[in-house]
Amino acid sequence: MIRTIVSIFITLGLILGVSFYESKCVDRAFDELRATFETLQEKAELGTATYNDGVAARSFWDKKKETLHFWLPHSALQEIDFQLNEAIGFLSLDDNEGALPKIEVLIGLTDAIPHSYNFDVKNIF
Amino acid sequence: MGLIFIRTTIIFIALLAIMRLMGKRQIGEMQPYELVITLIISELACIPMEDNSIPLLYGIIAILTVFLLHQIVCVIDLKVTAAKPIISGTPSIVLNKNGVDDSQLKKNNLNVSDLIESLRVEGYFALDAIEYALYEAEGAFSALPKKNFAQLQTSLPIILINEGKFDMKNVEKTGKNTAYYLDVLQRNGCKDEKKVLIMTVDGDGKVYLQKKGERYKVFRLDWQSTLW
Repeated sequence: MIRTIVSIFITLGLILGVSFYESKCVDRAFDELRATFETLQEKAELGTATYNDGVAARSFWDKKKETLHFWLPHSALQEIDFQLNEAIGFLSLDDNEGALPKIEVLIGLTDAIPHSYNFDVKNIF
Repeated sequence: MGLIFIRTTIIFIALLAIMRLMGKRQIGEMQPYELVITLIISELACIPMEDNSIPLLYGIIAILTVFLLHQIVCVIDLKVTAAKPIISGTPSIVLNKNGVDDSQLKKNNLNVSDLIESLRVEGYFALDAIEYALYEAEGAFSALPKKNFAQLQTSLPIILINEGKFDMKNVEKTGKNTAYYLDVLQRNGCKDEKKVLIMTVDGDGKVYLQKKGERYKVFRLDWQSTLW
């Protein structure tokens, strides 16, 4: 009986600990990513964003993605890959205006993806 | 991961409730919560294993949640007496000294022929050879035979009337017709077959007759020879 009760507390602690860490880790990663994309957006609005800015944002995203793969379904992260590569495509052509809507979508995704997996009633059902 | 924990818990509770509502028949010698765990744990292990877009942690957290719920249910089952009937159910006495308890059978989604089949599996062929029969909470069947049960089951009884209806194949096996058995019923205070819960006859002509809501009676038909 004691072993059962101890196992309950250990398992509960493990689940709650992992959940808490996941929540912090995902939120922090997407906050940082959002800040990166917002910087890119400001540059694109001024018409000064370059291909190298896009590549730098992608490198940053690739690093974050390595840990996010532990916590989120890979299909959810692929959407960011897709939109970011399109934005970089526009930047490689020096088309800041073309890149802007893609960056806008990326900023939206940095909000939407973590919210889809947050501990929330609408996500439970 | 918190989501996975809550979702797994909800599915576990929903499945447990459904298993309890379905009754003992669906369980088959497991506690309801054990069956629920068996049902979901294999799926939990398989989905992240075969779909590599789902993080492995999703499966691990879900399996840990099922383990946690199992341990909690075990503790509640052992320590909280009032919770045991809710979680695991209670045994039902489906056959007692008055005969078959139809209301208990119906509560468990069973009929008399299911009871007779279960008794046969346990090695008891005659209903009058049993003192008590129970369907346990986990769906197993147990029976307490009468002291002289071996003498009471010398020939295989067959069902003639089951819940108000003649079993025509079995009636033919006895070489008689329904009119003969209607006459037998009338001589035993029963207007027609609709009032009968169960009527069996064995090869020696021993009849087990129980009218709905009444105590059973056993008598012999004046057959000249043993039929089977």
